[in-house]
Amino acid sequence: MVNGINLALQFLDSFAFIVLAAAGLAIIFGIMGVINLAHGEFILIGAYTTTLAATQLGLPLVVAMVVGGVVTGVFGIITERVIISGAWPNWVSQRTLGRDVIEPLYDRLADSMVATFGLSLILTQGARIRFGNSIDQISTPFGAISYGSFSYSTYRIVLAGVSIGLLVATYYLFTRTDFGMRARATIQDKETAQAMGVNTDRMYMLTFGIGSALAGLTGALFAPVISMQPTLGDQFLVEAFVAVVVGGPSVVLGTALSGGVLGAILAVFSNLYGTFIGRIALLVAALIALRFLPEGITGFIEQVQKRRQESE
Amino acid sequence: MSDTETESETDSLGPNVRQTAAELATGDRTETLLQTDGLVKQFGGFTATDDVDFSVDEGELRCLIGPNGAGKSTLLNLITGTYEASDGSIYYNGHDITDLDPHQRVSRGISMKFQVPSVYGDLSVRENVRLPVQQFADGEERRRLVAEAIEAAGLTGYEDVAAAQLSHGQQQQLEIGMAAALEPDLLLLDEPVAGLDVAEREAIAERIMRLNEEQGIAFIVIEHDTDFVASIAEEVTVLHNGEVFREGPIEEIESDPEVQRIYLGGES
Amino acid sequence: MSTNSANGEANSSLLGRLRSPFEGPNTIGESRGFWVGFLVAVAALVVYPVFGDGSQLSLFMILALLGLSLSLVWGYSGVLSFGQVVFFGIGAYTFGVVSINFATPGGITAAVVAGIVGGGVSAAILGYFMFYGGVRDVYVTIITLVSTIVMHTFMAQTAGSEWAIGEAALGGFNGMPDIPLLTLGVEGASYQFIYNPFPMRIIGIGAFEISPFYYLVLVLLVGTYLALRVLVNSDYGRVMVAIREDEDRTEMFGYNVTRVKFIVFTLGGALAGLSGVLYAARNVYIDPTVFSLLFATLPVIWVSIGGRKSLLGAAVATLAVEYLRISMAGELALVLLGTLLLVTILVLPDGVVPWVHQRIVTARIGPGEDNGPNVPETSSEVSD
Repeated sequence: MVNGINLALQFLDSFAFIVLAAAGLAIIFGIMGVINLAHGEFILIGAYTTTLAATQLGLPLVVAMVVGGVVTGVFGIITERVIISGAWPNWVSQRTLGRDVIEPLYDRLADSMVATFGLSLILTQGARIRFGNSIDQISTPFGAISYGSFSYSTYRIVLAGVSIGLLVATYYLFTRTDFGMRARATIQDKETAQAMGVNTDRMYMLTFGIGSALAGLTGALFAPVISMQPTLGDQFLVEAFVAVVVGGPSVVLGTALSGGVLGAILAVFSNLYGTFIGRIALLVAALIALRFLPEGITGFIEQVQKRRQESE
Repeated sequence: MSDTETESETDSLGPNVRQTAAELATGDRTETLLQTDGLVKQFGGFTATDDVDFSVDEGELRCLIGPNGAGKSTLLNLITGTYEASDGSIYYNGHDITDLDPHQRVSRGISMKFQVPSVYGDLSVRENVRLPVQQFADGEERRRLVAEAIEAAGLTGYEDVAAAQLSHGQQQQLEIGMAAALEPDLLLLDEPVAGLDVAEREAIAERIMRLNEEQGIAFIVIEHDTDFVASIAEEVTVLHNGEVFREGPIEEIESDPEVQRIYLGGES
Repeated sequence: MSTNSANGEANSSLLGRLRSPFEGPNTIGESRGFWVGFLVAVAALVVYPVFGDGSQLSLFMILALLGLSLSLVWGYSGVLSFGQVVFFGIGAYTFGVVSINFATPGGITAAVVAGIVGGGVSAAILGYFMFYGGVRDVYVTIITLVSTIVMHTFMAQTAGSEWAIGEAALGGFNGMPDIPLLTLGVEGASYQFIYNPFPMRIIGIGAFEISPFYYLVLVLLVGTYLALRVLVNSDYGRVMVAIREDEDRTEMFGYNVTRVKFIVFTLGGALAGLSGVLYAARNVYIDPTVFSLLFATLPVIWVSIGGRKSLLGAAVATLAVEYLRISMAGELALVLLGTLLLVTILVLPDGVVPWVHQRIVTARIGPGEDNGPNVPETSSEVSD
């Protein structure tokens, strides 16, 4: 019984971790066809901003977390304008050289990976130069709950709740709002969306901003429980990528499904054989999932949509 | 996996294909070349083709028409093996090819030109044409076949131009040339004249008929333009909602009120 | 061989015929000027240890082999692999394990072969799993990335004494020290390449020592580069490039795309394995940092900057980037590297070397101008 509760909590914990790690990456990948290898560093920005806002400025934790998310979102929008779309450099070059110097990275998967990897190097090393090898951490709020011989951090349960809330909010955003409708139109067919009056350029900018803000929020939420070092983003990267590819291109549904499946695997194997085996099991499960569902769980659904479009 | 047997098939591609084509050019036999039997393709819950029985004879030129969403492209992709059939079978020259990979079907003599011109944009015209030809010709013979294919596509003088720089019509011609360079028995064309002007359409029509008459290549052509269809084909198959709706001579089909109805009301 | 009718008629001379297998639309450099520049560059590399740090350059050249393996797999066949370091590392560890257990000349020679085979076989297994499973495009990239992380996670926890293969302890993060000195041959007829300097004396320069290992690596690098040039300009190379451009189309020309990708991926793995063997041999040591995320992305950086569709670009950029990385050894090094990468991919997505080459072809500067010893691509394109 006790182990049952433990397993359930472990599942919630894994689920929350995977969903939060993946959410921002999934949105950007799903809508823009951009793979953000600097995703981990966006999480880093969120975590550092939150921690510094709390420790240096003395802001209440919740406010500091919001600040973390917002700052990362703004940083994301700047990144989108400068690197991903090249809009600002092109604005300058149009006036100086009379031509664009940067071709947008939308749907250029390999190039977007390489470019954002460059960004990730700059950010990680920049953080190290500016803040050293670690910064002071904020303490974990809420204390712990105990049952039998186990003790469990209440905050981690809160995280699970937040991750579900985030999924619901994202789902709402993409299915019930005007923005979501435009976003989905853009995914399905960029040209048609443009013809219908969707400003896809602005769409992409906002998408990247929202995805970045989500990554920043992830960093903010985990700031009290992970050690604050410049490479902290790396520990999210694997789960994030695995969840995104296993989930496939349908953003919210895919993330939720893969969070559930992979979270269960991670929890069960960690519980039975320790965290190392749990992690290996997660990766192996991802490899197997990709082998049999080459485009993820929801990739198949997208194929159907594409097929429908072609025959229409 | 079927990769071991493939090697020998690829090796024997050239002689096989040419022999059959030559036979066809001289002989008058009209045997069924391709036959689909209860072919079904579903995407998730969406049925793109439903129980399609369809056949093409050797050396025939068949057009496939139908309103949007009728399942025409799906049927072509099922024949080439790009899509796996959900149910039903495909027979080619009397053999069941339903489970073969696309490249294995090509080596048996089925060739395809896609809906969107898909030449290799970064490669030169010559490199594009070499790719199909190099499988069964070497040295002097390869040079000759490449030159002939380029000439037939009307691209002499463009050998070293990157294919992406050709006009839309030239790309269509190049792609047909590449597909025909495989010397297939059956060539599938998905909307070969979409987006072309009148002169370009006529050139394509002439090209198709020449390949059909001189080399005995059977064709399945998807096309919306009924004038174009009437100019090249006698027999037409109409698909509607994934099913074979009508089959017959073009004049009959054109005047069929039911066909007119599905076209006019075909806002699917 | 490829019947390159464009050059076929022109290259009637013996020299021309000698060159023709190395030339074609898939590589840059078809002129006499190019080949003269190439020979000058190789000559410069031959005499370099007399003047500079040959030991360091040998490391860069080893890594250039790794860069070439990615250029082959990604640049020519369109499979972006973050897993070249997996095969590199497996090659290195296999070499270490076998040579430690059989520390005789024959055993070490066998260890070299085992390392290359280990790289190739591991790539074959992963490649079979992916390509025959219908995994494509970016998903291949992610799987290779995950494989790298799996290896890193796995090797990092092999510190315990139970993780030993025969005499060789894997050593976890501490790595595997005491790899025997690279010696090729069999007992009685062998030659030690590492730590066996060869004394030389040239009048006017004086006495100095050269490392046979440096020349072994140089020969392997130049040989591999030329062999890959032949490959990518052959009929098979044309199919690889066609697959990179459009997989479905190429399948519709009757090619077994899956098998071609599988074979190229395996070959790339073996080449990465060779690179790993030399890396472990040079350092007489190997540890799991070769599976780290940073190391995994280095080949992608080299190949992106140099030009992914250019073998020469991959090799030259590896030397240049690694030289920069070492010489900027301050804390700003990674920032500059990241910036370089970012700017290159944004402004010159096809890479620096093809861009420079294009410039020279257009400008038709005379040969030999402004080219350093390691940059043969700056030699000009003179039509025959």
